[in-house]
Amino acid sequence: MRELKKADLLQGTLDMLILKVVALGSIHGYGISQRIQQISKDVLQVQQGSLYPALHRLQKRRWLESEWGESENGREAKFYRLSALGRKQLAAEEASWARLSEAITLILQTVR
Amino acid sequence: MSWFSDKSRKFDDEKKIDSEISFHVEEMTRANIVGGMTPVEARRRAVLDFGGAEQVKQQVREVYISAMMDGLRLNLRSAMCFIRKDPSFAVVVVLTLGLGIGANSAVFSAIDAILLRPLSYSHSGELVELHQQNLKQGRLPTPVSTVRLEDWSRDNSTFQSISGFYAQNVTLNTGELPERITEAYVTPRFLQVWGVTPVLGRDFTREEEKFGGPNAALVSNRFWRMHLHSDPAAVGKIVRLDGFSTTVVGVLPASFLFPDREVDVWSPSQVDAPYAQDRSSTWFSVQGRLKPGVTRAQAQADMATVQARLGKQFPKSDGNLTVLLVPLKSVVIGSIGSSLWILYGSVSLLLLIACMNIAVLLLARTAEREHEISIRYALGASRREIIFQLLTEVLVLAVAGSVAGLAVAAGASRAFAHFSKNLPRVDEIALNWRIVMYSLVCAVVATLVCGLFPAIRGSRGSLSGSLSQSSPRQVSARNPWQSILMGVQVSLAVTLLIGAGLLLRSFQAIGRVNPGFDPNHVLTLRISGSWGETTKPEKMSQRINRTLDGLRSVPGVEAIAISGTIPGNSSGYPVELKISEGQRDPNRKVIANAHIVSAGYFDVLRIPLLAGEVCNDRSATNTVMVNQSFADTYMANFSVIGYHLAYAAASSMKPPEIRGIVGDAREESLDQLPGPAVYWCRTEAMPDPNYLIRTHGDPMAMAATLRTKIHQLEPARSVFSVMPLESHLGDQLAENRLRTILLTLFAMTAISLVCIGLYGTISYLGRTRRREVGLRLALGAVPRQITRRFLLQGLRVALIGCVAGLVLAAGLSRLLAGMLYGVSALDPATYVIVLLLTLLVATIASLVPAVRAARVEPTEVLREA
Repeated sequence: MRELKKADLLQGTLDMLILKVVALGSIHGYGISQRIQQISKDVLQVQQGSLYPALHRLQKRRWLESEWGESENGREAKFYRLSALGRKQLAAEEASWARLSEAITLILQTVR
Repeated sequence: MSWFSDKSRKFDDEKKIDSEISFHVEEMTRANIVGGMTPVEARRRAVLDFGGAEQVKQQVREVYISAMMDGLRLNLRSAMCFIRKDPSFAVVVVLTLGLGIGANSAVFSAIDAILLRPLSYSHSGELVELHQQNLKQGRLPTPVSTVRLEDWSRDNSTFQSISGFYAQNVTLNTGELPERITEAYVTPRFLQVWGVTPVLGRDFTREEEKFGGPNAALVSNRFWRMHLHSDPAAVGKIVRLDGFSTTVVGVLPASFLFPDREVDVWSPSQVDAPYAQDRSSTWFSVQGRLKPGVTRAQAQADMATVQARLGKQFPKSDGNLTVLLVPLKSVVIGSIGSSLWILYGSVSLLLLIACMNIAVLLLARTAEREHEISIRYALGASRREIIFQLLTEVLVLAVAGSVAGLAVAAGASRAFAHFSKNLPRVDEIALNWRIVMYSLVCAVVATLVCGLFPAIRGSRGSLSGSLSQSSPRQVSARNPWQSILMGVQVSLAVTLLIGAGLLLRSFQAIGRVNPGFDPNHVLTLRISGSWGETTKPEKMSQRINRTLDGLRSVPGVEAIAISGTIPGNSSGYPVELKISEGQRDPNRKVIANAHIVSAGYFDVLRIPLLAGEVCNDRSATNTVMVNQSFADTYMANFSVIGYHLAYAAASSMKPPEIRGIVGDAREESLDQLPGPAVYWCRTEAMPDPNYLIRTHGDPMAMAATLRTKIHQLEPARSVFSVMPLESHLGDQLAENRLRTILLTLFAMTAISLVCIGLYGTISYLGRTRRREVGLRLALGAVPRQITRRFLLQGLRVALIGCVAGLVLAAGLSRLLAGMLYGVSALDPATYVIVLLLTLLVATIASLVPAVRAARVEPTEVLREA
């Protein structure tokens, strides 16, 4: 079996990861991609081509809020923040992810 | 979600997306520099790693666009789902709106064609009709004399041109059989006034317009097609009109239909002819084209100055005359406007009722969808989105309704043209893009009227709302809005019913009127004649008497007469008279409607002779008859017979003698009381009078026989306008009948809608309160009590609506006052009947669902809980 070097994100999990990262505090798009890469120890790499559409989609659903502010090195940047609605959504997605991964782990262990 | 705000935000977003992405690239560049790359290399790698920036931007943009499209698509899909879930509801809504919008569009198409659109002449706003009016004698505006017309044309400074015409029926002798043609005699400048040029040939020349000049004619497109075989070389051809050879000098465009579509030939009327120099013989109907930018008031002032100067110059003939200017459009439209607006008002009320009806139904349905709506809230929909979704559902139905409505309108506009040929401009009524736009606007307005309110109310449920509680299990609160909407509907329907009731009673009253003459079994027809014959009145009189005698001998003919006007359908020609022997009150003006008839007239129409004897139209001395109203008004206590009547205005005619008094007859119109009238007994007054023939049997069955006989007597003359006298009377009432039928139809539709609405409302109340009813029954209530409660609820709404409707109708019925005959606008009987009818209908509509509401099995309901 071919070893997965940099895992492709499972369909639908990017939104959850973004919400999770944003939940830690107000952050801009570049920061989000860096953080995901960092926390996953470089296993997960977010394509910008998926990141930005996802950010805007989440904002459109009013799970994210945004405002323009100054970045750590004095540049004008767009910061994202989790809305109350987004917090609920994140909780729901975390719960369902936990159930899903538990189930998958169970299957993998049992069948072996 | 709104499309507009998304669009206005677009530019803003574009720039922001740009700077958000360039920030990302710059941060990556910085990281690369920190990692030890050269700035140029760092930048290159960053751009490379980022991937196509344009592509990313495009994908971000698509998030917004697809969200919008998704929103719309989802709304449409949920609308379709909504329709599929309850197709019968959708059908009811589409049909209701289809009828409502269709009827509204149909009446609007008539208003648009008749009242709103300009006449089909070039710059038609500049066209006015000019009349002369003798205010001192209180006379109606009259036609204009030739010389005066030419004076006006020469002296004014506000008109581009002024011209006049008179029309008469002539006989075309070119074909095998003599054929009746309508010919208009026009003064110079006619084509300039109308702004038309012949499609073939030319206008008249100076020579042709001079007395004694060559005969010339412009012909209509129809004439050119039918009689000249569309020959491109038709100009110069000779046609024989009334025996005179006339050269065709031009063909006018098919669109030119003045004075009306009947006219096929236009010929010059020679204004310098010796017989045209008399200032008191008035023939011409006069139209003028104002100079661009000149207002009617300016032209009116200008013409007043011109006529005042003529008054000084010719005090005897022109001293008392004034000029009256009327826009041509209002001449063409006549009095139909108020009828059309009344119809439009009532059809709009009907559409409003239809919309409110649907609103009531929707209100009930959205209440039932509370659960679904709170789930959508829970999934993150905003209130705006939910309202938009609910409105989309209604809009889909409304657009379908307006398409159905267009079909109704198309049918109706054809019916309009078919049933009321006498309406002005009726052939211009057609379905065009304006009507299509109008009905789509109707659909949008209807969506808002019937959808907005239920949507706003329905979307009021909050997130925490009723997710956990499900409505059928609890006793639901009362919904006052439903009753209020129903009450308003009842009141509007009552208003329409009263309007229709008043018109119906008025129409009945006209039908019951005794016109004072007997129109049954009378055939009317005309035989062509030329005004040129009036120069030899004896000869013309002999000709007409010969025809009368000839037709009288036909078996089946009981009596025959001629008349200048059609009884029961004449515009009335009031004249001022003097009684030569002196009158009861010398200061009182003697004004009477003048009629010119032959002696047999009273016999044919069975107008009773009350005193004296019937006049004689063949004696050397002129004789007249007066009606009873004339005798009572002007000569009570005088013995009328044997007195002499003269025109108040100077006249060369020897005052004729009054030979007898006849009964009053409604000569002008069935809904107009007969006033004083004078009948001049003469047969030489006009060349083509109406022949009135009393037959033994069906008048139309005699038509062919009479035609043959006339052809034997007068082989060169044509016969036209052959129809029973009764259909003339019918035509005269056509507008009245159309108005009455349509308003009654609208009112009936309105009350049916109210019926459906009440039924729906009570059924809904019964459904939502099933549990309550079950509890009550379990606790010992009798079903009859329950039924009574629901019934009373329906009746209370109906009664309050009725009272409001009666008040509204009393206010609005003033608009109808001018159209009513023999009933007052506040006729108590009509109001009481409508009140009772509405309450009866409301009782029936509420009773069925009220009985059903009480038919609840308590155990079943309680087990559900």
